Amino acid sequence: MENLQEKILQADSLEALEKVRVELFGKKGLLAVEFAKLKDVPGPEKKAFAEGLNETKAKLQAAFDERYEALKANEIESMLKSEAIDVSLYSTLAAKGALHPVMETMDKIIDYFVALNFAVESGPMVEDDFHNFEALNLPKSHPARDMQDTFYFNDGSLLRTHTSPVQIRTMMTTKPPIRMIAPGTVFRRDYDLTHTPMFHQVEGLVVEEKGKVSFANLKAILTDFLQYMFGNVDVRFRPSFFPFTEPSAEVDISCIFCAGNGCRVCSGTGWLEVLGCGIVDPNVFKAVGYEEVSGYAFGLGVERFAMLMHKIPDLRSLFEGDIRLLEQFR
Amino acid sequence: MIVTRSWLNEFIDLSDVSNEKLYETFNSIGLEVDSIKTIEIPQKVVIGKILSCEKHPDADKLNVCQIDVGSGTRQIVCGAANVVNAEYVAVATIGAVLPGDFEIKHAKLRGVESEGMVCSATELGLPPLGEGIMILDESIGELVVGKEFGEYEKIADTIIEIELTANRGDCLSIYGIARDLSVALEKDIKPFDYKQEERMKLGIAREAEIHTSGEMEADLRYKLASIEEMQSSFIVALRLALVDIQTEGLLSSMLSYAIHATGVILRAYDSECFRNEEGKIVVRPTAIRKGIIEVRGDKSSYGIVGVNQLKETIANDDTKQVLFEASYINPERLVDAVYQSDMNKDELYYKTSRGSSPDLSFGLVYLACLMDKNTQINCYEGSLDVHVQREKNILRVNVHEINDIIGQEIEINRIVSILKHLGFDINAIGDHVITAAVPMFRHDIVNIQDIAEEIVRIVGINHIKAKPLAFVEKNRLNDTTNRYKYKKTLKNRAVGVGFFENVSYVFSEKSVLERYGFITVEESLELTNPIVEELNTLRSTILVNLLAAVKRNVSYTKKLIPLFEIGAVFDAQRQQKEVISFVFTGYTGSENVSNSGKPKLIDFAAFIQKIGSVVGAFELVPCTFHNGLLHPYQSADILVDGKVCGFVSKLHPTVQQSYGIPDTFVAEVDLDALLPKHTNARAISRYQGVYKDLSIVIDQNISYYEVAKALGTLDLPMLKDSYPVDIYVDEKLGDKKSLTIRFFIQSMEKTLEEGDIETVMSEILETLKVACKAELR
Repeated sequence: MENLQEKILQADSLEALEKVRVELFGKKGLLAVEFAKLKDVPGPEKKAFAEGLNETKAKLQAAFDERYEALKANEIESMLKSEAIDVSLYSTLAAKGALHPVMETMDKIIDYFVALNFAVESGPMVEDDFHNFEALNLPKSHPARDMQDTFYFNDGSLLRTHTSPVQIRTMMTTKPPIRMIAPGTVFRRDYDLTHTPMFHQVEGLVVEEKGKVSFANLKAILTDFLQYMFGNVDVRFRPSFFPFTEPSAEVDISCIFCAGNGCRVCSGTGWLEVLGCGIVDPNVFKAVGYEEVSGYAFGLGVERFAMLMHKIPDLRSLFEGDIRLLEQFR
Repeated sequence: MIVTRSWLNEFIDLSDVSNEKLYETFNSIGLEVDSIKTIEIPQKVVIGKILSCEKHPDADKLNVCQIDVGSGTRQIVCGAANVVNAEYVAVATIGAVLPGDFEIKHAKLRGVESEGMVCSATELGLPPLGEGIMILDESIGELVVGKEFGEYEKIADTIIEIELTANRGDCLSIYGIARDLSVALEKDIKPFDYKQEERMKLGIAREAEIHTSGEMEADLRYKLASIEEMQSSFIVALRLALVDIQTEGLLSSMLSYAIHATGVILRAYDSECFRNEEGKIVVRPTAIRKGIIEVRGDKSSYGIVGVNQLKETIANDDTKQVLFEASYINPERLVDAVYQSDMNKDELYYKTSRGSSPDLSFGLVYLACLMDKNTQINCYEGSLDVHVQREKNILRVNVHEINDIIGQEIEINRIVSILKHLGFDINAIGDHVITAAVPMFRHDIVNIQDIAEEIVRIVGINHIKAKPLAFVEKNRLNDTTNRYKYKKTLKNRAVGVGFFENVSYVFSEKSVLERYGFITVEESLELTNPIVEELNTLRSTILVNLLAAVKRNVSYTKKLIPLFEIGAVFDAQRQQKEVISFVFTGYTGSENVSNSGKPKLIDFAAFIQKIGSVVGAFELVPCTFHNGLLHPYQSADILVDGKVCGFVSKLHPTVQQSYGIPDTFVAEVDLDALLPKHTNARAISRYQGVYKDLSIVIDQNISYYEVAKALGTLDLPMLKDSYPVDIYVDEKLGDKKSLTIRFFIQSMEKTLEEGDIETVMSEILETLKVACKAELR
């Protein structure tokens, strides 16, 4: 009996175990031979003999089952093992492309204002003098036109120098109230380390009835917006001048490179200029035929935001399709 | 605009105002500080008095000076030629460490002991002030021998560069900035009193007269003076250098100094120009057009007020009798007039176009005071004047309106006080209404919002509390917003299949577009002033820009270059539309162990699959587009909803070669054609369908497009789908090809029977036989 059990345990494969099974439990196996002896056992001993034999069979069966499970598990394990791969070889296969950091920054900006119930508006890149300058309180002789170097066409049209003409177009086709942003491509005739002839702006405009929109409102939304974009920064408003707003301000954030302590990026001032804004000048409303209204407007350069947020050192590299730059934004 | 602290101090007491406070105040009142820098003079540099100066026995160019430096007399060898004219100088004594870590030690120069150094401006970190050493005078304060040079506030000055906004002509002078500062710091402007000593009691009328002609729009004041001996002033030279103003000669520097200090436009004429045949000086200001006043003599015209001055009439240091002119003209009038005509403008036009100071007498008195100190000058009594009566701009200011604009309650008293300090004349009308007469130097203030701006900047935006705007909600998801969102979806899909988003200039090079057969903008609509040749026109395709980016990436050794761009292109009429463009160069995927580092190169099928994953379903038909980028036998029109809206192609091999790039595919599709459309669901059959293949033999030049068109004419409700699965050519077929098409057949009403399928298949075959001369293989 112990001998037989040993045999089961020694079977080292499912095939060997199968042989043992036939030898023990088969039709002509050892157990069958033993059970055949039952008929020759005298009556009074028959019961005990049969019980003993059944007990042996049950024990052997249990041993067999256990061994079978073990061998089966081994077999699956070795099959799995044979399929093993070094998964770490494959991490370079993830092949997603990437959005352009300027466009992604623009998306982030748009998301904010759309969430605040602003509409997105657009206008043509080729503009006329009226929409780009005149209606924005920049008559031909205005000294502020010095600030903008413009691309002109032979027929007197021009490439818009800012997204502000979209404000004019929207106001001329829509009745107040207005809550809009105009993200878009703009052009200045400037090409050096820190200027490209084309870049992107997002412009915002809110118009409500007279007396409703104040400078304090502008301060509230822009402070919140800049903290949404740049995290926990201080926001500073400085009075400034734009022909199309009055009062006007430039908005700075505390330098995100040195936490406001002063570094090369902020020229030691601790502040970075990021936005221009103001209360819409009455002359602008006059140009579009609005009366008894009040409003604010703001505008920002998307490249500057992207460069600050992602610490991109070179403006011109943004327009070269350089995959070495782009793949970092996967 | 550059100012210095000590110069400002002439007009406003800054003794208790730190540089930090000054910086903060400037920024908060809208005078943005670009830079602020304090000059640091090294210690042990002291005032020295030269007692004697003799030639060095062994060196021509050296002088041996005995100099009193307070603590004793030092022998110092000096190499500067101008030391012979000097009395008071700055001496770096033993132990002084000059900029550049240059320590002064005992020295022997050609055998002569030297105990220190007589300094030039640059040696002490000051801007260059001409050749040689600095010759000091009392203009920097009382010269006390032995006193540290750095203790003079006019020397160890703070230089502040302010970026002025275009509207603030009133701040284009030291005085103007001091005036703005005085309001913010709540300090009074120091009174400027100078009583000119009129030594020569001759009246100007004896020598000169003035006759105007036409409508005078300019204020003018002329003073006549004879000048005998001009001497330099150290402070004038130093400050002009600090504020970066270049001048030629002493008279010119005096004028520039007075202009920078007061903001009044001052010119000096050689009076001889105006002298007529009777020996009298006659000035004839003549209005020749609106805003244009010519300054004429009897013989000729010598300049235009606020714009220029004829070079030959400019008085110099040798001029014996000088006619000084102070002028003011309204900048808006002037700018409009100048804009309409092409005339020479000198450097003063910058100031006049933005608004110079109308206080002519202040400018002339300041100049006289300055010259009096340094020059033997004799002024004639009185002046020749043109004074224009201008109506003051009076604004009615409702305080509630101001507060609405600001969004905060500012008391009327505060408003009145601010405006008064800014130079406005105020009259109260009611509890909350005042009238404010705008001072002439603030031509930029024309309405109540301008007044609000003044209040905001003086109160300080930091003191205005942020307040969110309450507004009425509205559905603002307009077409542009939705289009923007869809573009974002397209972009994310493109990124998902491996493309990188490119952003390039909307410009292109006209000759390149023409070379590849793309449309270019008509000449009459073309850019007038392109910035560079390579960007001299608006692009009509993005692909040329993308190929340039591919070329750069190849040079950066990139082997897999998938780029896309959504952007504007322009047709010949310069109409703008938006397209999405793709370019794919090199490998289809990354190099990795599963492809043993050799990924397949991009091919037509792989490229189509990628762009299809971005733009959605489309049909490809043999190409009708023509441009030089296309491969004539691997290109197709892209059809969406049966309309051609773009093309896809392998890049023409010669173009590929000229760019020096590997296998490349390109595609460009109109964005309008891709905008999402509304879909209604079709009924789906509950019964089992079957797939059936049909192999036919057709002419090699019949495209699958023809076959599909023929299949499209069939009216077989059970035919649900068909697509090609195999194409086969061999010699036995001659000029024919074998095409296998797979059909999916399914009924909406019942389980298909063999007969149904046969009916469908035989009708398909019959149709193809007729339409495409197909035979069963």
